[in-house]
Amino acid sequence: MFQKPIASHEEEKKSVHDDVETVVGPSVNVEGDFASEGNIVVKGSVSGSVKTSKLLTVEKGAKIIANVNAGNAVVSGSIKGNIRVNERLELSETAQVAGDVACKILSVAPGALIHGKVVMKGIEVSIPNKENKSSLVKNKPKLAVKVVS
Amino acid sequence: MYVYLYDDFLKQKKHDSTIKAMETRLTDFGIAGKIIRLQNFTNAKIVIDEELRRGISGVIIVGNDRTFGHVLSRAATCNVLFGFLPVGSDNVIANILGIPVDEESCEVLAKRRKIKLDVGWFNNRYFVSQLHIPASKIAVEYDEKFKVSAKNQMELVVCNLQPFDWRGQKIRNRKAIHPQDGKLEAFLRPVNKKLWREVYEEPSIFPFEEMIVSSKSPFVVEADGMSSKETKIKIKLARKRVEMIVGKERKF
Repeated sequence: MFQKPIASHEEEKKSVHDDVETVVGPSVNVEGDFASEGNIVVKGSVSGSVKTSKLLTVEKGAKIIANVNAGNAVVSGSIKGNIRVNERLELSETAQVAGDVACKILSVAPGALIHGKVVMKGIEVSIPNKENKSSLVKNKPKLAVKVVS
Repeated sequence: MYVYLYDDFLKQKKHDSTIKAMETRLTDFGIAGKIIRLQNFTNAKIVIDEELRRGISGVIIVGNDRTFGHVLSRAATCNVLFGFLPVGSDNVIANILGIPVDEESCEVLAKRRKIKLDVGWFNNRYFVSQLHIPASKIAVEYDEKFKVSAKNQMELVVCNLQPFDWRGQKIRNRKAIHPQDGKLEAFLRPVNKKLWREVYEEPSIFPFEEMIVSSKSPFVVEADGMSSKETKIKIKLARKRVEMIVGKERKF
């Protein structure tokens, strides 16, 4: 009856604190190791490396020439470099990626361009190695024709 | 015992009744103390250091944003509790700290709700609310990790307490600045010159702990209402430097 309300002032403050965001504006160039503890929004150009444990948003027209490491990512611009995302990577129709992609969940909109290797965690199908591959080719099952009289 | 630092502008007749009412209120609360009137060139640090030797328990700034900046730019290093009694107009900082203007501010002071605030430091002086560099050809380096540049001139605003509101900004996008988050926020706006007018672009926002701003030609630096010309400045964060009495309705 006399308990304090659940959503306390302290909690509200904490949520504001978590939303700290780094924004690279449209005509701004960033060079070097660009790292942030919060969300990153890129509207301009970045070269070097990009690192965040939270959400990286690359907007349409933005250009990244760097290896990217993020918790989650939504890409609408272009990235030249390898992308490593811990959780979800979303490529919208205007996205262009030239580099290898590693993520857990991948969403690709029609029109998005990828030039590189895509590796995703959690695959259960055994991938045959080189030796097995060659043996598979050698022992190809021959077609059997059964004549029924 | 508290020491009250009165700004010079409080001598004006229009503030007489407010000051009298405040002094009565402070006496009622039993927190009235010595009054020192600040002049334009008074170094607040020397005044406070001398009062500290006499055994004061707190320093109360009485005035507006300019007074607040004037005192704390030098006195932030003093190990003493600060309070603020805002009077008249130009009181944005008081609103952020949750302190009502004029007589009602005495109640906040009496309640003694203390918190420690981060402050910014640059070229041997402190700033509490905001540092502003009007549009100039500057280069910025953050935390010795990455450089930020633009083709044109850039305006730089470093916020600690006072948020940066720019024209054309959507209300929902207004960023809350937290003076206890262990970071300062830098807002960089490139300027495009179109015919006779200057058009400011959307700002870039970078939270940081240390930043170097340099230029080939001197640029203006305005911090807490005081301005100077520099060619290179190092801006740093001083964590939890100032202990301050704030109101319940504070904005962080």
